[in-house]
Amino acid sequence: MTLGDGVKAAALLFVAAVAQVSIFSQVHVFGAVPDVLLVSLVAVSLLRGSVAGAVGGFFAGLIVDTASLGTLGLTSLVLTLAGYWIGRYGETTGRDRAHAPFLSVAVVTVLYQLGLLVVHFVLGESAPAGAVVRSLVPAIVLNLILTAPIYALVRRLLRPVDRDELTTEVQLLG
Amino acid sequence: MAPPSRSARAAVLASSVQRSKPTPYPSKARSALIRRAIVVGLVIVALALVTISFRSPTAGALHDAQGVGSTVLRPFQIAATRIAQPFRDAYDYVDGLANARADLKRQKQIDRNLRERDIHIAAQAALLPSVLKLLHFVRGRSFPNDFRAVSTSVTSPPGGPFAHTLAIDAGSSDGVRLDSPVVSGEGLVGIVSNVFPHTAKVTLLTDPDSFASARDIDTQVRGMVHTGPGGTLILDQVSKQFRVKDGDKLVTAGTHNARYPDLYPYGIPIGTVTSVSATDTATFLQVQVQPFANLGSLESVAVLVPKKPRR
Repeated sequence: MTLGDGVKAAALLFVAAVAQVSIFSQVHVFGAVPDVLLVSLVAVSLLRGSVAGAVGGFFAGLIVDTASLGTLGLTSLVLTLAGYWIGRYGETTGRDRAHAPFLSVAVVTVLYQLGLLVVHFVLGESAPAGAVVRSLVPAIVLNLILTAPIYALVRRLLRPVDRDELTTEVQLLG
Repeated sequence: MAPPSRSARAAVLASSVQRSKPTPYPSKARSALIRRAIVVGLVIVALALVTISFRSPTAGALHDAQGVGSTVLRPFQIAATRIAQPFRDAYDYVDGLANARADLKRQKQIDRNLRERDIHIAAQAALLPSVLKLLHFVRGRSFPNDFRAVSTSVTSPPGGPFAHTLAIDAGSSDGVRLDSPVVSGEGLVGIVSNVFPHTAKVTLLTDPDSFASARDIDTQVRGMVHTGPGGTLILDQVSKQFRVKDGDKLVTAGTHNARYPDLYPYGIPIGTVTSVSATDTATFLQVQVQPFANLGSLESVAVLVPKKPRR
């Protein structure tokens, strides 16, 4: 990942985090909130790998926690793991697959919500499992609607790298 | 008898061959190690931040740093809100047109109810001075005489099922103090739970830790408003002998004992009773409340700051 890419990804995630906290958090559809930040993070992670995903998730979460005056580090923790996991998927199985962004967004939406639920529960804060479960399907649908335009935008900003530049766990033979 | 070539091939295939261990790519092994170290480091830092932030939420270096961070982010949030405002206005306009007829009908009904209630309240108010004398009622702070309102915009509304807080664009430099009541044009919103120099955190009435002493202005029954099962607001601690009915309006009850002043002054509208039920086993009535304030989409609120500091 070049310096230019890093700056672009940072700017993108910053804008997404501010927009999420200030604008999209007010949009409630069937109890769910569209998550522009999560979808942007998935796109960056798929295109730039696990390290970019983890670092991007950490700092984007920090912005969210700071702007919303929430418990610092809480969103960072969950987004770091989400970014890392999606990045690994992009580096290995999901590379060059057209359905990878959609599959990633659907899965990570569920894991992100459940992760937040667990962290809030562990901290003894409000953890409404029923409300979270009820809002999962609308949240997945909303995020999937956002995936195509956001992934296209991020792909324009961060051009896909060559295969050889990506880190792989699976060593290709032959 | 097998041909010689075949037996030689079979002999080779049958013999056990010691496979050489795959040689790791040094650069890739190192990058995997670095990658894992980075993610583990970030997780540890995040856990440390959560721990410190959770242990001292209203003071300390991290609290100050968060205050500075929120001040830096504030212009961006305001800019984002302003960019989104035309779209929100357009949506509200279309939504308003769609619901105009139903709203008009509802408003006419409300007007009729208010006229009836005005007469009822005026009649009751005429009796109030003598009743107060009789009860030696200890008067707490009254709203709005003993408070000044700090009007401000909401910079970070509550989003998702976990969030029962919002961030506002006013802080200690504007006079906002911890535990100040927060209201919107419709009614009670919550209470200030954390104060930074230029921002503050408001814990909403729907937070599981929020409690507000309430009074039914129609029947004068007192109770405690808080979040019940399923996340709905309920009026609790009302004995079954009292009568509460659908459509009753609730306001904050204010201070009843001067030694234990209530955080909320008397008279802030809270909500309407939407259902009342009682079971044979329960001690109290089960009263569900719909808050007047639309807590999910607040754009501006007012913080009620006491003119005299609390004792």
